[in-house]
Formats: sequence, C-alpha cells, structure tokens
Amino acid sequence: MKMKLRAAAVVSASALLLAGCSGTGDGGDSGGGTGGLVGTGTGASCVIESPVKIGAALSLTGGAGSYGASQQQGLELALEELNAADGIEYKLSIEDDASEPRQGISVMETFAGDGTSIVLGPTLSNTAVAAMPIANEASMPVMGISTTAGGITDIGEFVFRDSLTEAQVIPQTIDAVIDEYDLKKVVVMYSNDDAFTESGYEVMAETLEGTNVEVLDTLTFSKADTDFRSLLTAAKDKNPDAIVVSALIEAAIPLVTQARELGIEQPIVGGNGFNNPKLMADAGDAAEGVVVGAAWNSASDNAENQAFLTAYEAKFGAQPDQFAAQAYAALYLIDSAVRSDCSAERADLRESIGSLKDVATPLGAVSINADRDAEHPAVVQIVKDGKFAVLR
Amino acid sequence: MQQLLNGLFIGSIYALFAIGFTLVFGILDRLNLAHPAVFAASAFVGIGLAEAFELSIWVILVLVFLFGAVLGLVIERVAFRPLKNRPDAHFAGLIASIAMAGMIVAVLQAFFGPQTRRFPEGTAPEGKVEILGASATYVQLAIVVICIGLVIALNVLVQRSSLGRSMRAVAENPTAARVLGINVDRVTAMTFSISSALGAVAGVLFALNVNSAQLGMGTAIELKGLAVIIVGGMGSLPGALVGGLILGIAEVFAIQYIGSSWRDFIAFALLFVILLLMPQGIFGKRKVREV
Amino acid sequence: MFTESVLVFIALNGIFAYSFYAVLVAGQLSLGQAGFAGIAAFVAATLAPTPTDWGPIPTLIVAIVIGMVVGSLAAVILGLPTMRLRGVFLAIATLGFAEGIRIFILNQSWTGGAQGMSVPKIVGPEIAWVLLIVVAYWFWRQGRSRYGRALEAIREDELAARSIGIDVGRHRLTAFVSAGAIAGLYGVLWAYFMRIIAPEDFSFSTAIDGLVTAVVGGSTNFFGPILGSGFQTMLPEIQRAVGIEAGWLRPFISGLLLLIVILYLPGGIASLVPRRKQKIDVAALGLAEASGESVAMREHPAKGEVVVQLNALAKEYGGVHAVQGVDLTVRSGDVVGLIGPNGAGKTTLVNMISGLIPPSSGSATVLGVEVGRTPVHKIAAAGVTRTFQHSKLFNRLSALENVLIGTHLVAKPTFLRRLLWLPSARRDEQAALAQAARCLDRVGLLEKANVEAKGLSYGDQRRLEIARALAADPSLLILDEPAAGMNHVEAEELSALIRSLANDGLTIIFIEHNVGMVLGTCDHIAVLNFGQLLASGTPAEIEADERVIEAYLGAVQEAEAETSAPVVADASDDPNQGRA
Repeated sequence: MKMKLRAAAVVSASALLLAGCSGTGDGGDSGGGTGGLVGTGTGASCVIESPVKIGAALSLTGGAGSYGASQQQGLELALEELNAADGIEYKLSIEDDASEPRQGISVMETFAGDGTSIVLGPTLSNTAVAAMPIANEASMPVMGISTTAGGITDIGEFVFRDSLTEAQVIPQTIDAVIDEYDLKKVVVMYSNDDAFTESGYEVMAETLEGTNVEVLDTLTFSKADTDFRSLLTAAKDKNPDAIVVSALIEAAIPLVTQARELGIEQPIVGGNGFNNPKLMADAGDAAEGVVVGAAWNSASDNAENQAFLTAYEAKFGAQPDQFAAQAYAALYLIDSAVRSDCSAERADLRESIGSLKDVATPLGAVSINADRDAEHPAVVQIVKDGKFAVLR
Repeated sequence: MQQLLNGLFIGSIYALFAIGFTLVFGILDRLNLAHPAVFAASAFVGIGLAEAFELSIWVILVLVFLFGAVLGLVIERVAFRPLKNRPDAHFAGLIASIAMAGMIVAVLQAFFGPQTRRFPEGTAPEGKVEILGASATYVQLAIVVICIGLVIALNVLVQRSSLGRSMRAVAENPTAARVLGINVDRVTAMTFSISSALGAVAGVLFALNVNSAQLGMGTAIELKGLAVIIVGGMGSLPGALVGGLILGIAEVFAIQYIGSSWRDFIAFALLFVILLLMPQGIFGKRKVREV
Repeated sequence: MFTESVLVFIALNGIFAYSFYAVLVAGQLSLGQAGFAGIAAFVAATLAPTPTDWGPIPTLIVAIVIGMVVGSLAAVILGLPTMRLRGVFLAIATLGFAEGIRIFILNQSWTGGAQGMSVPKIVGPEIAWVLLIVVAYWFWRQGRSRYGRALEAIREDELAARSIGIDVGRHRLTAFVSAGAIAGLYGVLWAYFMRIIAPEDFSFSTAIDGLVTAVVGGSTNFFGPILGSGFQTMLPEIQRAVGIEAGWLRPFISGLLLLIVILYLPGGIASLVPRRKQKIDVAALGLAEASGESVAMREHPAKGEVVVQLNALAKEYGGVHAVQGVDLTVRSGDVVGLIGPNGAGKTTLVNMISGLIPPSSGSATVLGVEVGRTPVHKIAAAGVTRTFQHSKLFNRLSALENVLIGTHLVAKPTFLRRLLWLPSARRDEQAALAQAARCLDRVGLLEKANVEAKGLSYGDQRRLEIARALAADPSLLILDEPAAGMNHVEAEELSALIRSLANDGLTIIFIEHNVGMVLGTCDHIAVLNFGQLLASGTPAEIEADERVIEAYLGAVQEAEAETSAPVVADASDDPNQGRA
C-alpha cells in the first residue's frame, strides 16, 4: 500500500514540477500572513499574538547524531524557560538533517515555506553551506549554532551564528600554551576529512607560523578513527614539547587515553571539539592536563551559566557540552532580538539580531558584529582534578 | 618496535572483524553487509551489560558471543533465506543486509542514544607490559591471543567436525550437498550464526581497545574488512588473519614513512594490486564464481 | 512535500541510479560510481568557466561535457584492468578505487580538502528533470537494441553469450564506461545544485545509496531507477510530512520498507509496472521475407572443404591427460558423431574446437582460425556455434529473445540508430526478428516463442539451444549431447533435423551417447577412449570395429544411467571450473 503510494507519488512528481518551482520561490514573507508576528510593547512587556515559529535543522541521526542530540536538549531547555515568560509563545520545530547536505536542503526549504521566523542550524558546516543559501534567498534569518568554519556568514545578510569561529578561539589558546609551557617544538594532529577539524587545523597552523615554535610534524587521521596508537608513536618519536590537536570529541577521548597509555606526558592542546564534560568522564585520569581552548567556559561563574548548568542537569541528568550551551544561548539571543522591537517578522528579526549587544548568556556577554558573527570572550581551560579550570 | 606492535594490534582487530565476513562469503558466497552493524551492536550490548551488572569481561565476551550468534540467525532468517532461490540472490541479499544494518543501528540508537559509549572503568584488567622496549596493554595482548585462538578453533571446526564437513560441501556445491543429504538451510544458518558471533566478539574487543564505541564504528572498519578478505583470499580463514596483519602493519609503515594522510590510501592500493595480480588472494583457492 | 530540492533530488538520485543500472543490466556489480562522480565534479567545477563569464547554461554544458569525459576516462582506467573480475571481486575492486579517489581529492589543495569547493548554483528542477529524461530515454532505446540484448545475454550466462559471438570484454567495458559517464553527469549536476562539494559527498555510503536505489527500482525495466529514486528520496519526506518524530524511528522505518521491497518485490518496484513482452507476429515475419529484408548471411565453405583440422591435439589437467594426440579432419557438409565412454574427453575436445579452452599441445585450425589464442567470440564469428552438455539458456528471457540474441553475429548494431528513431534500425530489428522466428520454426518451437526459457520442457530447452546456435548462421555447429533426456520420438525428430541441416550445407559435430542415433545420423564417427582417438570412420566401419565394441559398447548402459540423472555438474563444461 505504502509502496504504491510512493510509486504514484513519483509519477505525479513530474506533473508537479512546474507547480513546485513557483511555489517555493516567494515563501519569504508568507510568515504570519497578516503581520500577526508584530506585537505591542517592548522588551519584557512585548506581547505577540501568534506563536513564533522557530525551526531547527539538527543532525539527530547519522554521523553527527550525538551533536544534534546535545543541541536538541539545549534548545528544549531554553524553550521551556522562555515559554514560561509572558507575552510570547515560541513554537520550536526540530527536524533531522540526518547529517546529510541533501536532507539539510529539504528541511530548510520546508521551513522557508511554512512561515518559520528563524532557523537554527544545521549542525555541520558542509550541510550549512549547502542549506543556508536557501534561507537567505527566502529572506529568512538562519543562525548557525555549531558551525565554526570560515565563510559561513558570507553566505548572505540573513545568515548569523552564535558559535565563535576557530579564528576567534585558537590563536588565543596557542599563545596561552606557548607562554605557559614555554613551548619550542610541537607536533600537530588533526582529522583531515572533516570540515570543522580541518579549518581548525588551518588556524592552528597559521598561528603557529607566526610564532617561533617549530612544527616537527603534522599527522592526519580520519574522523572515524579511534585507534591512534601508531600516530601517537610517530609523534612521540619526535619528542615534542606538546601535541596540538584539532579533533572532535569522538576522536579526542581515545586519542588522549592512548597518548597517556603510550607514555606521552606532554601537554595535549585541543580546540572547541574537546570542550565536552565527557572528556573527563570517559578519559578519566588521562584527561588531566589537557588544555582546551573554547567558546564556552563551562566553569564560568556568571549567573546565566550557573543557572544553565543547574537546570540542564536537573532536566537531563547529565552535564551539558558546548553544543548544548551554544544552542541554549541561541534561543536566548533570538528571544532578546524578538523582544527588542517586539516583532518576529523575518525582516525585522534580521535587523534586531544584527544589532544585539551584550546579551547575557551562558557563553558570556554576546554581541553580534557587522559580519553577523557572535563576539564574546573565549576561554582557555585546563583539565584539573576531573574538571575544567581556567588556565588564564 | 612499538610501531610493529601497533600494526600487529590493529591488524588483529581487522582480522577478527574480517574472519566473520570471509566465513559467510567463502562458504555461502554471500556478502553480508549487516556484519558491521553486528559489530557495533555487540559493543553497545556489551557495554550495557557491563554497566548494568558489573560483569567480568570474560562473562561479557561469552554473553556477547551468544548475542551475536542469535543476531546472525535473525539476519539469515530475515534478510537471506527468503531470497535464496532468486536468480539475483546476490544483489538482493546484499541490499537486504544493508537494510538490516540500517534497522539494527536505528534500534541501537533507540536504546543507547547517539552518544559515544565506553566500557566502565575496570571492566577489563588494566595495566601494560613491556616487550623489547615497546609497551602493550593487557587488552591488546588478549586481542591477539583471542584472535589467533579463534582462527585455530574455527579452522579445526571447519576441517574436522561434521558441521565443518557439511560447510565445506555446501561451499563446494550447494546443490550437490543437498542431494547428499546435507541440510543446507541448517548449515547456512549455522554459518551466519558463527560469523556474527565472531563479529560480536570483535566489536567488544575493539571498543575495549580504543575506549570508545560509536554507532558508526562498524562502518568505519567495514572497508578495511573488505580489503582484508580480498588480500587474504575470499573465504580463507588463515588468509583473513594474515591479510589483517599485513594491512595493519602496512598502515603503520605508511604513517611512519609515507605520511599519515596517505594511510588509508595504502589499504586500497594494496587491495587493488592484490586483485590485479592474484585475484584469488594470498590464501584463496583458485576458483572463479559467477555472481 | 514536493519542494524544489525534492524534485531535484529525485532527478539527481535517479541519474545516479542509472549509472548503476548501466552495469547491472550486464550483471556487473560496481561500486566505483561515487568515485567517478567525485573526480568528475571536482575537475569540472575547477575547469569550467564561471557563469558570470559565459552565462549559466553554457557554463553548465561545458561542465557536463568535462564531467562526463572525466567520468568515462576514470571508468576506462579502472575498467581495463578489472573487467576480468566478477561479482563481489569487481564490487570491492571498484570500491577500493573510488575510496582511493576520495582520499586523493581529500589530500589535494586545489579541491579545498575536507571543506570542499564552492560551486555556483545553476541546476534547478527543470534542468535536472530534462537530463533525467534524456538518460532514461537512452536506456529505453538501449533495451531492445542488439547492444542491449547482448548485455542481457552477458548477465544471464556469460559463457553462452561468448559462444554465440558476443565480445563479452568489450561489451562489459562499454557498459562500465557508460556508467562512468553517467556518474560524471551526476557529479556535475550535484555540484552545480549543492553550491558546495566535499569529498565526503562521494564516499562509500553514497555508492551504497546509489546501488540500493537502482536495485529497489529494479533493473528489468528502464523505468526502474526513476521509481527507485522516487521511493528513496520521498521516504524521509513522507515520514516528515506524516509527523513521525525525528530520530531513530525514521531510519528504522526506511530500513524496514527497503527490506519489504527487496523481499516481496523480486524485480524491484518496476515489477509493479507490467512488462511488455516482445511478442512475435507471424504475419509480420512473412511480410519481412516478402520484402526481401533479411540479415546478412555469411559465405559458407563449399562442400568437401576442410572445416576442422586437428593435429596431435592434447589437453592435460595437472598430469591427467584428458585428450591426447588426436588427429581429425572434418569436411564441410559432414555430420560427425563423437562417441566414447564417460570421461573419454569428448567435451574437452569440442571445448577446444570451439575455443573455450586452449590446448596444452598440438594444433587445431577451425574455419581458417588457429584455435588456442583466439577468443571464443572470434571463433564464433568465424562460423562456429554450439550447444552445451547442460543447457546454457538465458533463463529469464523468452524463447524468442534467446534466439534473437543468437542473431548477434549476423544482425546489425541498432542502438545508436534507435536513439534517433531511424527507420533503418526498425528494418534491421525486423530482419533479426524474422531470422529468429525462422530458426525457432526450424526446431518446431514457434508456438512457444513467448514462453520463458526456464519454463520450457527439457527437450524443448535442448531444441531452443539449437535454434539459438542456428540463428548465427554458423558454418560449423557443435552439439554436446543434444538428445540427452529426450524420449525416442524426440530423438528421432532431432535426428531428422540434423540431417536436414546437413542437407543445407551445414557441418555438424555432435557428441551423443545414444549410439543408435549416432549410427543412423552421421556420415562419419570418431570414437574416443581415455582421451585418445580409438577409431574413426563411416558408421559401417565403426560398427564393425572390434576395438570399439570391446572398449565402448560394454560401457553404454553405465553411461546412459549416469546421463539420465545429471546430479553433480560435470566440471568439464566450464573451462573456469575445470581447473578448480
């Protein structure tokens, strides 16, 4: 029955060809239709009649499934909190892009066509590069909440992000560890088949070039790898002062464990990918002394962050990671933009997000700069006694 | 020396994974692409058991072996047996096993979530030994021992036991085997079962070894497994062992002398050269089958 | 649900599935298409001009041309060394090659590594569907052409295809290259739609997706890949529309539905669409003859000319002499019977004559061709066709289609002309059909023209195989135990058929255990025993030869008992298995 349905659907696809094209082109202002997304009052007193639709294109299944799951939890928490406030009701629709650009595009088109005010995600940079132009063409704001590769916000005027780029995090980290450990020579390792880690590596390489630290060797691996012993042995043979790594948490944990197991006692320096409580939970003692430069200081004692940590643990029974924090913060940023001129119309939202300044979030005080990228303090942390502590 | 050991350990994992692959291929002439999913499933189930009951690793290995055996029976019954008389049984079985793999991974995600999981600390004896200036953990040594032990046991099974004789008869000619009174369906099911049980053990050892289990861990090793069974010779058990070790050591040397970014290239270059020079692999019998 | 991207993806996935279909119809399992698509996409995106210089459509056309050329070249480079591999071996070799390409692209700086390369967006639903329709049209026209039938024959039984003169290597390579070109087209379209291409877009899982799409759609109907693509592309869309919660349930349902399609729709989704069988119209056949349209017939040697000349021919398998020191001359128009106890080397001898296996020593000249280094299809082209001890029919095809494939050598290629709907292609197809019908008629199977080969009775299958061998208008026909399994009436009819073929000037060598039939049918009989020629002469001479009576006739009962129950395949039929 289902199969026949599909066969019929395919046959009718060609008939719908023309209808389909004309139907999607002008979805831009189909929003609330009659301006129901413009409310009265400002700030906390803002009241918008219609519910504000927010979309999220996350990788809930497939290769990046674990990041999408964290982001989903972060969003759900923020949604619950924001909807508890009066005046605006947010309707969050979370869709799965299956870690694939193809699905990301479809999801984005669906959101563009159904009056969604703003979309968060996609999770992965490659999917974002393919899907965000659709939002931009439909004049629908979209905010990256985990994409750190360069060039994302160049896609267009409607593209924002609250995740700091590697260029905003890594140089500071490298400088800090050089100072701290008096580094002379390092080995760099990164997974070269992932856009996120590769762009992180590029920033690392560039930063290291500007210093007088010698790069003894650059070793690459695949993001799917979990056995790093032979690479680490090669690195150990060079006898570096530290190992600088651009990798995702899946690789980071076995990498750190195996390094210590092979007797590599030198500092290991990582970026955003390492900023995850699982590093300590799963690598245990091996994680001690790992330096992590990141966009989110999980140990920060600012009130928003402490509230976030407590609420998250209460709701999900686990500690949040950076993906959750950035997703959570994004919804707060959107709320403050919507309230600032009390409108969730796409065009208004683009204006109001663009002029956000010093919004208090768990990430710290976030401002959106002229390039539509977030600016907030980054942090260099070190694992100490099973916890992240600020290195400097 | 450390690198040689590293290669040996990686190679043993490849071999352990490939043995199950090659068993089904060699005897039944089917490629079971649900094997990587069994590999991942068993690691997660093993972790689940370890977390829930704090079992010793040996108990877990036995339980997971049984779990794999049952899963193998299910895969055979659902994805392969209904197709056995179809002229395109090869393609169809391949696709059906891909579908099964997708379903198994989806169910895993339902039970365990998409996050990377690990065996709780202390599941396996920790510590390491020094061998000629290189270090190896107990887990790694256990992998090599288990791997070699399983290859020998399996070889004895195939060469000596009556089940093994039936397996060889089916491998030679299923129609003739049926005429000779061998229950081909039963032999087929047993082969799948043993194959999956081995894949299951491989999955647990792999997860222990690298301190990580992901839903996609089977896919990551799948291609290497295919390369191993070609290099070693399709259907040859010692071939899978030797092929795995060759691949593991070749990779390590690629890292050391060519550059780590070409490491995976080595596996496929090796595969390609072997296929062209000796399509039957190092240990394969000279036998061309039509698919 | 039918957003722009869904429409484009149905078309794109469909095109990609066609690149698998292109080789599946020839029975090849290749997983290299993702690699072809990848290298094509990156090279095309790098070399093609920008839309601002040339305008979008010319840019796309240039990119498509580059992509298809690159895809084809990659397929040639991979195909030349790997075309002798079969089945899973081919699949893994091509997969290895594709992964190699991916890693290569990943490690190059001009491709942008893992972050990929930006490409302007040009492709929309219109362009994608037009190209999908062009590709589908291509395969529609290929289906009923001589080329398309040859591929089908290779899929069904490679050895039989070879023995009726199909150059299997060349056909397989051609199919492979067309797969490469179409994969290249897909890669370029993907690039110019997605705006960004990264190596991971062309990974192992991409290839698996393409294969699944093609198989789910079905490879028995040219429409299959489109249906498969519709199914696979719409699955997540429908699930989303129906409101199934995002997460693990969706891939689970997708897997389940895929499994159901594979298990319950053997020919893929396309099997739901009834397949139009090629029906034979006897009236049309008469018409074709009347208007003088017929296939090109070949020149046959004059009666009495030497057709086969064997000198000290020998074959040895690991120390066992299957055939040794056989000298034999066969002249045009002769009917030569080859008899001998089981295992005497009869089949080995005719396998050497028809070029299936090379002799270990000695020489054999057949219709002017030196056997040994000459490929089977060339020997068939010289005018030798044969039947096999165990029928090697194209089982899933109708009797008519079987014989139509048999006309391969005498029919003209029609595929390219069919693409252009040239009337001459239609005429040539009619001529081939007429030839096939005549051959079917000759063996008395015309009424069963539309029956699937595997549905025929045993005797009919043997006669169908003879009809197929006759369709090539051979000069020498080799029959390996044609009467095995036939009853007396059928055997007598067969005997009459053989005589009448000989009267038409055909030379026939046949192996038969039914000594009575051999004595009554042949002009000349050769007796083999333990691989050696025991005796040779007219039926009367053989009947009187004491050695023959002593060595052979005693074993007749035994041999007949065995042939009536062909339990275990006799390996000597298949040269590949012969050395196993």
